[in-house]
Amino acid sequence: MLRIRAAAAAIALGLVGPALADTIHVGITISTTGPAASLGVPQRNTIALLPKEIAGQAVEYTVLDDGADSTRAVANMRKLLEEGKADIILGTSTTPASLAMINVAAEAKVAMVSMSASASIIAPMDAAKRWVFKVPQNDSLMADAIAAHMAAAGVKSVGFIGFNDAYGDGWWKEFSRAAGEKNIAIVANERFARPDTSVTGQVLKLVAAKPDAVLIAGSGTPAALPQKTLHERGYAGKYYQTHGVANNDFLRVGGKDVEGTILPAGPILVAAQLPDSNPIKAKALEYVALYDAANGAGSVSTFGGHAYDAATLFAAAVPAALKQGKPGSAEFRAGLRDGMEAQKNLVMTHGIATMSAEDHNGFDTRARVMVTIQNGAWKLLP
Amino acid sequence: MDSTILLILLQDGAVNGAIYALLALSLVLVFAVTRVIYVAQGEFVAYGALTYAALDGGQLPGSVWLLCGLGVAAFIAGLWQGRGQTDAGLLLRLGLETVLLPGAVALLAIWLAPLKPGMLVEVALTLAIVTPMSPLLYRIAFQPLADAPVLVLLIAAVALHLALTGLGLVFFGPEGFRAPAFSEAILTVGPLTIPGQALWIGGLTLALMVALFGFFGRTLTGKALRATAVNRLGARLVGIPTERAGLIAFALAGFIGALSGVLIVPLTTVYYDSGFMIGLRGFTAAIIGGLGSYPGAVLAAVLVGVAESFSSFWASAFKEVIVFTAIIPVLLWRSLRHGSTEEEE
Amino acid sequence: MIPSRFVSLWPLPALLAALLVPWLPGMPAFWVTLANYTGISAIVAIGLVVLTGIGGMTSFGQATILGLGAYTTAVLSKYYDVSPWLGLPAGLVVTAAGAALLGAITVRLSGHYLALGTIAWSVGLYYTFANLDLLGRNDGIPGIPPLSILDVKLLDGRASFSVIWIGVILAALATNNLLDSRAGRAIRALRGGSVAAASFGVDTPRARLLAFVYAALLAGSAGWLYAHMQRSVNPTPFGFYPSIQYLLMTVIGGAAHVPGALLGAILVTTVNDRLQDILPRLFGARGNYETIVFGMLLIAVLQWAPNGLWPLIARVRPRRRPIRPDAARLPLRTMPPAGSALLEVSGLRRSFGGLVAVNDVDFGLAAGEIVGLIGPNGAGKSTTFNLVTGVDTPNAGRVRFQGRDITGLPARGIAEAGIARTFQHVKLVPTMSVIENVAIGAHLRGHASAIAGLLRLDRAEDARLYAEAARQLVRVGLAEAADRPATALPLGQQRIVEIARALCLDPVLLLLDEPAAGLRHHEKAELAALLRRLRAEGVSILLVEHDMEFVMGLVDRLVVMDFGTKLAEGPAEQVRQDPRVIEAYLGSVA
Repeated sequence: MLRIRAAAAAIALGLVGPALADTIHVGITISTTGPAASLGVPQRNTIALLPKEIAGQAVEYTVLDDGADSTRAVANMRKLLEEGKADIILGTSTTPASLAMINVAAEAKVAMVSMSASASIIAPMDAAKRWVFKVPQNDSLMADAIAAHMAAAGVKSVGFIGFNDAYGDGWWKEFSRAAGEKNIAIVANERFARPDTSVTGQVLKLVAAKPDAVLIAGSGTPAALPQKTLHERGYAGKYYQTHGVANNDFLRVGGKDVEGTILPAGPILVAAQLPDSNPIKAKALEYVALYDAANGAGSVSTFGGHAYDAATLFAAAVPAALKQGKPGSAEFRAGLRDGMEAQKNLVMTHGIATMSAEDHNGFDTRARVMVTIQNGAWKLLP
Repeated sequence: MDSTILLILLQDGAVNGAIYALLALSLVLVFAVTRVIYVAQGEFVAYGALTYAALDGGQLPGSVWLLCGLGVAAFIAGLWQGRGQTDAGLLLRLGLETVLLPGAVALLAIWLAPLKPGMLVEVALTLAIVTPMSPLLYRIAFQPLADAPVLVLLIAAVALHLALTGLGLVFFGPEGFRAPAFSEAILTVGPLTIPGQALWIGGLTLALMVALFGFFGRTLTGKALRATAVNRLGARLVGIPTERAGLIAFALAGFIGALSGVLIVPLTTVYYDSGFMIGLRGFTAAIIGGLGSYPGAVLAAVLVGVAESFSSFWASAFKEVIVFTAIIPVLLWRSLRHGSTEEEE
Repeated sequence: MIPSRFVSLWPLPALLAALLVPWLPGMPAFWVTLANYTGISAIVAIGLVVLTGIGGMTSFGQATILGLGAYTTAVLSKYYDVSPWLGLPAGLVVTAAGAALLGAITVRLSGHYLALGTIAWSVGLYYTFANLDLLGRNDGIPGIPPLSILDVKLLDGRASFSVIWIGVILAALATNNLLDSRAGRAIRALRGGSVAAASFGVDTPRARLLAFVYAALLAGSAGWLYAHMQRSVNPTPFGFYPSIQYLLMTVIGGAAHVPGALLGAILVTTVNDRLQDILPRLFGARGNYETIVFGMLLIAVLQWAPNGLWPLIARVRPRRRPIRPDAARLPLRTMPPAGSALLEVSGLRRSFGGLVAVNDVDFGLAAGEIVGLIGPNGAGKSTTFNLVTGVDTPNAGRVRFQGRDITGLPARGIAEAGIARTFQHVKLVPTMSVIENVAIGAHLRGHASAIAGLLRLDRAEDARLYAEAARQLVRVGLAEAADRPATALPLGQQRIVEIARALCLDPVLLLLDEPAAGLRHHEKAELAALLRRLRAEGVSILLVEHDMEFVMGLVDRLVVMDFGTKLAEGPAEQVRQDPRVIEAYLGSVA
């Protein structure tokens, strides 16, 4: 009796959705509000563009917002697993929250595909991280590119200014390593917060250290403020940014002050400028066209590309997984994980991934290009 | 640290402090009149900045729709609160203030926005769009709670802040905006280069303080507000309607918030959620100033700005730690000075 | 005798059965998960009931304190292979030490300074978490081991449910016990104003610190549960917004009620979860409306129920207290012999800026006397009263009591010396019953610690305190009102409750501050009769009064003040004839 009543109540409250047979349930938790909203919003918009059918199976996407809070990210994940019967989890947008989700994925034996930067999410590989994949480039890959470019350009000393959060921390760790390998001295290490209205104090210190170049490690429009302030203070060295700024809003806010900035980015940022021989070009342009058609011309951002890549990776694993079992079964879910790990030369908007048991990112140097800003537009550097 | 750096940091702190001071002033005003700690005040800074930036880009800002929505909601709330009330004059006034006025502003904005009417008109339009939201929110959220304890009012203000931040994200998106400065002129004084906008901020802050001083000291409305601040019951007994006083206080707060936003958006990037951190600084200053003293709040605001500026120079990773830890002894000193006062309910 | 009261209040067997609910077949797994999050929040919110709802201190830093507990157990169990179970005591030690430090500063702040103070240290701690390498900086500590029993890991949400909800039940029980004990009454007494609490010997900073540390310990233990359920910690859940979330749970539920905290936690968690499902269906998946709708709902609820939802659901009223008249009487003071000098005030002076409010005033009072201190408005009576009761400190002059110099002692010291007082504006705790209010007066006559109260080891003493309170109520003739809410009584009776409370101190001297103000005629007569009876029983009384007629037939001697100076002193009839007194009174009346 109690059971019936509980079930009736569950249906009344909408807790139990109709469990369509053979529908693949994709659970997504991303940060569409809060401090990482500039990542999460284009990701959410991308989910709406994903195919509703893969390999003849209906696919249902459920998107939840975690506001970059790891408690909510994990709660969302449990909700998606326990209530939404998710076969796979895509997300989330930030590193700390992604790290918090790893154990839940491993215990539920459901794979998750993170859309955040740090390599620590997938490395070093262990029993729990077997279930975790990551589509954005590792920050180490990008940091190496910047250090290499600096060394080639004759930069001997660098001032670093980064977000006072996991993104800035991750970059500090990776860049100080990469710079050390190239014998580049880091002469200043400053932090700022995303909503800060002034970074004059940090900038004065950077300028006083007289570095050959400055690296700004922030994401989205907030990364423009240090650069604009450096300009105001007459800093004349080279400016480097990270791939976190690769969207058109950055160009809008940065204006003439960000001309000449050098940064590494996923190829998608300059897809149209890629040679036709690059397989990424077609994939990236396909996504750009889809996104701009739905959200307005020029609205695409590379962050949304990560969501598209996550879906690409997942979709590529579906046919193999279906051979293991029906959607909803443990076999199918394990099949998805195995299928993703087995991907070789999978073309995505940000690169070409070759997964292995040890490497759940799979990107190589093809996943980064060096880009500069010229006349208010992104320009591929040779 | 040489004297040049010292001067630049002082200048930077003073400019930020001036904005905090404006917010602190309106927080003190709103608290004194309504006992509401207006956490959502910061949102008006963001709304003002982003509305101005949108108009500058020739776009119709989403805040126009919010204004209309709030107007209708306030009208309904007003009817509900005054149910059984048949005074046609009051009804007319309610309709005028909640529906007609916001509607007129919205029409004006729809007409003017695509024309890019120039900075002065855009600033005026921004203030006209954002300012009325504050008294409308007072009608909807706080008027029915007029007699609630301070804690409940505070929580209601927090709830309002949550809702307004969410709306800000919907209307303005997650990315930041900037707008052109009032004046591109740059003044060079010794080692300092002072952007014209900073002078605007300083000048307008001073002007606003003088204006507020005159308003409270000389006008009848200002005196009524002060009377309400001192004694709500007493003010009501001598015929000063506290609802009216609350509306005026909220309108002033909305105006000051929107103006602050317009002032800072040329100097820094403003995001949908920028308001909270700025508001928190203003709140800090207001409290250090004693939540009752206008000059105290201004002084404290400038101190907070300068402390921030210096700590971001010394140890930027620990800026917040330094600023907020430095506040604690000040709070202790303020508390001990006001030691034995019984907490008000 | 086993105190059966809390068993009837908290039906333990039913609650224990509830722990098995998640194992019911068909129980959706996510309900259990939600219940787990609810439980963790509820523990924090229960702490906030004590701190904010009852202690009156608004904390915006509770999530940060939760972080102290969570990080402690995370570091120990992840890096030092310490059993997760030992993380709890370790976390509590760290939390207690941290809270004692933070609290020592915080509780000395008043009103809004306090609220901002909590924001200040919580922001500071947040960024400290985020910048410490030991704590994994912003990435935090992932991969924390789960709790386990005999090598069985409690990974399943249902297993966590039992642990978490046993925690909730223990927290609710302990809080209930605490609030019902001597230490808890001291915290509740803060609601009647800290001056009132101090004048019955409550060490108010200490009571505030106790509330602070207690709330912190609950938050710290919630942090322990959080770390092992979440299995990872990083700074994001310990910031300002989560703190706000706990605070609003408490306020929505009804800040002054333990069940309200539970209700608030359940509601906020459930509503947030439901909104995630419902809103995309209503508005599509293009925007995020959860916080917007949540904010609006919150305002609507506050408007509908400004005191929270619990008082609407349950008719909240003070519980009935069975009194055990057989309880051993509390030890009594030795009273000074009648006629001996009790209070000697000499050369008392207090000036505020240029204004001399009390100007070299001398008077005295002998044991067994009723002395009236009278004078027109602004005569300096209240200031004199404050100087004698330790609320204010004189610039010059001496107050001696039973031959001992008590000048400048704080209110608590005055109470310890044996002087009890009442207030012109009645200061009773509105949420407490008459007898509970009266029992606060006996605070100094009990010794049970907060821990004894938590564990119910204080019952014998508590019964004696309540028996004493009941005895004093009988003495003043209000025995039948014992279980009524204090503020439900008419003003005259409330003043008499204050007298009963003062008598509970077993005072040598009773100070009454304008006891007749605002009373009706017959109430005044009853009050006068009571005071005469008390004098007959050997109580000495000093009363400050405005009402000449009331004191005339009552007092043995009168001291008249005007403009800060003593005008006359002597037997009532004699003073009444004094032309200066007549002029002062007529002058002021005219």
